Amino acid sequence: MSSNDNAASDAVAGTTVAEIDRDEAFLEAVADVYGETRAAFVRRLAVGSGVLVAALAATPEATAANRDGKILNFDLVFEYLQSSFYLDAVDVGTIRRMPREKERWARVLGAHEVAHVRILKGVLGDKAVKKPFFDFHGVTESEAEFTRTAVAMEDLTVALLAGQAPRFANRALTAAVFSLLTVEARHAAWARRIAGFVPVDKSIDGAKPIAAVRRVVASTRFIAARPRTRRRRHPRFTG
Amino acid sequence: MLGVVAVATLGAAGVLRGRASTGDVPVRPEATTPSLPGPVAPAFTVATPRALSSRPARAIWAAVRLPTIARRAPNVASAAVTSLSTETPEETANLVLVVGRRRVGRSLWVRARLPVLPNNTLGWVRRDALGGYQVVSTHLVVDRERLDATLYRDGRPIFHAPVAVGTPQWPTPAGSFYVRNRLTTFPESFYGPVAFGTSARSAVLTDWPAEGFVGIHGTSQPELIPGRVSHGCVRMRNPDILQLARLMPVGTPLTIR
Repeated sequence: MSSNDNAASDAVAGTTVAEIDRDEAFLEAVADVYGETRAAFVRRLAVGSGVLVAALAATPEATAANRDGKILNFDLVFEYLQSSFYLDAVDVGTIRRMPREKERWARVLGAHEVAHVRILKGVLGDKAVKKPFFDFHGVTESEAEFTRTAVAMEDLTVALLAGQAPRFANRALTAAVFSLLTVEARHAAWARRIAGFVPVDKSIDGAKPIAAVRRVVASTRFIAARPRTRRRRHPRFTG
Repeated sequence: MLGVVAVATLGAAGVLRGRASTGDVPVRPEATTPSLPGPVAPAFTVATPRALSSRPARAIWAAVRLPTIARRAPNVASAAVTSLSTETPEETANLVLVVGRRRVGRSLWVRARLPVLPNNTLGWVRRDALGGYQVVSTHLVVDRERLDATLYRDGRPIFHAPVAVGTPQWPTPAGSFYVRNRLTTFPESFYGPVAFGTSARSAVLTDWPAEGFVGIHGTSQPELIPGRVSHGCVRMRNPDILQLARLMPVGTPLTIR
């Protein structure tokens, strides 16, 4: 090691991972692979510390099962988003007003997404995350916007599941999620055809990591704060 | 090309036909092809769903996300009906009941039932001032003649109870309203264990604190139910209001007749 290397080593001594990783790209990757708890632990560790290596190296069985649950829960959130999207369009009458073939497409896809939610909730049991609150900002109230967004959502689902299916420690979960993936790929092709796009425009599909999907979902602002409708306080109604 | 070779190979091995081409002697595939592991059994499978049907007529509510003006027509130049804040006097989200929508140019407008006097007022609100839609399948009907309340779910009665309503001097207003919040855990027992706030307002007690909204709540005087004894609120016996609280979500349309 040169003297310059030693100086650099001295300079980072005592520096935490969080200080170096200002945009949190590294910590986000750690959270993806090892879970949020370990990412929070790593955040506080000093760069160059042997503990950091140990923290990242240890992957006990429990962590693998835990990670499988986290991946499934993220998939569940995405299925909640999709099923709510189609149900919202049913409730506001957008789907009922569509031409016959398009209406059939939307009703079939919506039913599939509802079924996916049901099965993922069943698999996760009491570890299933609660359904978020959704605000589609009027997108479900316009046939054109609804259709365009459905295409984007189905394409994104395919990329999400392609990225996550191989990550399960439990191969039976990989097999099951692959069976969802093939259905979602057909959804995407059907949605593209309905919207007038080429059903398959690439010879190979890219996968997306959870962090990338999370960013896309965040950019839509479809997941919103739940309005507060209950309070613990004294009423002042007319009595 | 690879596919053609593969099909030819499989065919020659008898995999596709299950028999050798030269005679009737059966050829087992595993005898001529390398043993490969079978597919992994999936952890779950999804039953074949039925296509989404239109759900029975349901009510839609939305919270006011941004302070806004409700107007007589879906047009920013139209006369104002009222201004809408994001919170109720009880510091819960201010809800409106969605009864229609119209696209005007690039703007989407929502026709909404409003929590203002005169009761039964409707107005047009820009969609982007509202939050996400929520759907309810319940409907509460209060009958001032029969002094009772019935809760319907998908058109079927699921709850029925006697009530007390306003005196002739302070009548419970008639009309179409909605439930807009739910309050619990208050120290004194006059309102019982649960109180629902509604969009209905007393037309006579206009100087009542917190704008004189009509509530549906329990009571510390169950012996007065049924009766015409309140300042406009709908009172129920405490076991009844507790049961109603288990069945009726916020946003439920309310008809008082």
